[in-house]
Amino acid sequence: MKSIRTFLVIVLLATMTLIIFLSALRGYRSSMQQTELVFDEELHDLVDLLDEFPSVTVTPNNTQRPGNPDSTIAFQIWDNGELSQRSANAPATPFGPFLPGYRENNFGGHRWRTLARRSVRSDRWIFVAEHVDNRFRVAEEVILEAVTPIIFGLPVAGLLIWIIVGYSMRPLDLLARELSTKAGDDLTPLREDQTPAELTQVIHSTNDLLSRLEASFERERRFAADAAHELRTPISVLKVHLHNLAHELSPDDPNIAHLKNGIDRMNHLVEQILLLHRTAPDQFMANFIALDLHTLAQEVISQLYPEFAAKDQHIELVGSSSQMIGDRFALKTLLQNLLGNAKKYTPQGGQILITVQPNSQGVSLKVEDSGPGIPPDEYDRVFERFHRVGGDRHASSQPGCGLGLAIVQHIAELHQAQITLGSSSIENGLLICVEFPAPNSQTDSDHV
Amino acid sequence: MPILLVEDDHDLASGLQQALQMKGFAVNHVATGNAALAAIEAEAPEIMILDIGLPDISGLTVLKRLRAGHPELPVLLLTARTSIDDKVAGLDSGADDYLAKPFEMEELLARLRVLQRRLGSIKSSYINIDTISLDTITQEVRVEGNSIELSRREYMLLKALMENAGRVQTREALETKLYAWGEEVSSNAIEVHIHNLRKKLIPNFIKTIRGVGYVVGQ
Repeated sequence: MKSIRTFLVIVLLATMTLIIFLSALRGYRSSMQQTELVFDEELHDLVDLLDEFPSVTVTPNNTQRPGNPDSTIAFQIWDNGELSQRSANAPATPFGPFLPGYRENNFGGHRWRTLARRSVRSDRWIFVAEHVDNRFRVAEEVILEAVTPIIFGLPVAGLLIWIIVGYSMRPLDLLARELSTKAGDDLTPLREDQTPAELTQVIHSTNDLLSRLEASFERERRFAADAAHELRTPISVLKVHLHNLAHELSPDDPNIAHLKNGIDRMNHLVEQILLLHRTAPDQFMANFIALDLHTLAQEVISQLYPEFAAKDQHIELVGSSSQMIGDRFALKTLLQNLLGNAKKYTPQGGQILITVQPNSQGVSLKVEDSGPGIPPDEYDRVFERFHRVGGDRHASSQPGCGLGLAIVQHIAELHQAQITLGSSSIENGLLICVEFPAPNSQTDSDHV
Repeated sequence: MPILLVEDDHDLASGLQQALQMKGFAVNHVATGNAALAAIEAEAPEIMILDIGLPDISGLTVLKRLRAGHPELPVLLLTARTSIDDKVAGLDSGADDYLAKPFEMEELLARLRVLQRRLGSIKSSYINIDTISLDTITQEVRVEGNSIELSRREYMLLKALMENAGRVQTREALETKLYAWGEEVSSNAIEVHIHNLRKKLIPNFIKTIRGVGYVVGQ
């Protein structure tokens, strides 16, 4: 079924037509009976009238009365077995047998309704006849008069039904529009006010489904975060006992080093999963404040400095004070992840250059390193969760979980920032550029 | 030094106990908040390590209750949560420091040393890095055993760097340590002092992190 509206219009019109046809048929029958009665009565009266005619001397050549030979009414008067008078259109032979009563006969090329009666006063038979067609014509005219306006009214009725059905289906249209304009992650219930009784059940069921869906999304969202959270204490246990074990054996024992490496990787993964969930745009309760990204970069570099120093890497921050509106925790995480990646993939003694400066569009952050870079055809994929360039056997043999850039992208989305990858000016390493829009354009798009 | 360890995870508690004992601490371990409050009443420790997630009453509640009778007891909070709000709540309840799980044992020991120093139980006033030695009481600085002359600001600058060895000090942070609020500071004052200091110290002792600040080795 394509459309309820079309269906209803067709079905209702067909039903109406059928009913009109049936009632017209019935009307035709009853009007036929009625006209039969009326016309028979007339014939009867006519016989009474003719009975009053005086007997006329029979002149065999002049029985015929002057008149219209095409008249639809005819008569014969037989006195003492002889035709004494007849209408202009009547034949010279009797219409039918000399028996009283109504009958139908054929003469003069027509079918006639005849009435024969013997006069009570003398030996006289009176025949009257009338075209049968008359009755049909009258009945047909009556029924046509009644049906014609209805036939012409049908299209009007169809149009009205179309409009009325459309009007009564408006709540359905509105519901469909509300559902189709719902954003993908919007699971808020539908409004239940002003809906007709028929739709209330649908809306109830939809809302019920939405709330169950939201609950299961919420469970899914929370699951990873909760699991990661619960892992923190056991990881602490591992770390503390590893520390004690290293004391008992020797800190340089290769077994201890492998164990430490494994625990560190697990720890990193757990923290990154927590960050990924905490910074997901639909989760994050952003607290946007005015801040200086350059100062924030200084802070993060100072904080991570021991790690760069451990790899003997040369790190440099250029640019100038860059005021912007952003979430401090999120931006710090973004910087930590970008610098962490740069540190990880830049070889011993390599270079890392960070540029933070205001530009005409807002604030731009660039992180360049002298690492191996990423081939351009991998640019899109690096933001996927758990994707690692070159797979787990990355040339840098660095442990990682492939969540770092997914988190960076979450945070960039929160700030409506654009991330582009490219080749750095230092030894063709990786260049990651994050462009933050200026505060006013940012708030503009917030309101859209 | 007696430490009260309040931690409901027995695996973690036994590991911590062992590690702390190796460092010469006398560790008393309890697993619930009520037991912790009772232990403090019985014999007050010098430092308390307190887990927030306890089975009976929250570590924060324990902290608030014990502050009534022991306002000075240094408390190091341990927690599996790391959000800023939790940190603020912990410090507002009167904790002296805050460590998020999972932590490195070295980090915990370093934090304990800070608390000990605050208690005055570490008497040494010397900071030694590489061949440089700085006495925070006499304000004497020795390079390879030889005393050198520093201006007041140069000394303060070196002290700030050496106290935070391994941690980059931004120019702004150093300025606030060297100059009183509102004092006129020329834009390159720190650079000038660093330049002068370097001439008196061993080469590459103070490293420049361009755009960020300065750091001395660990």
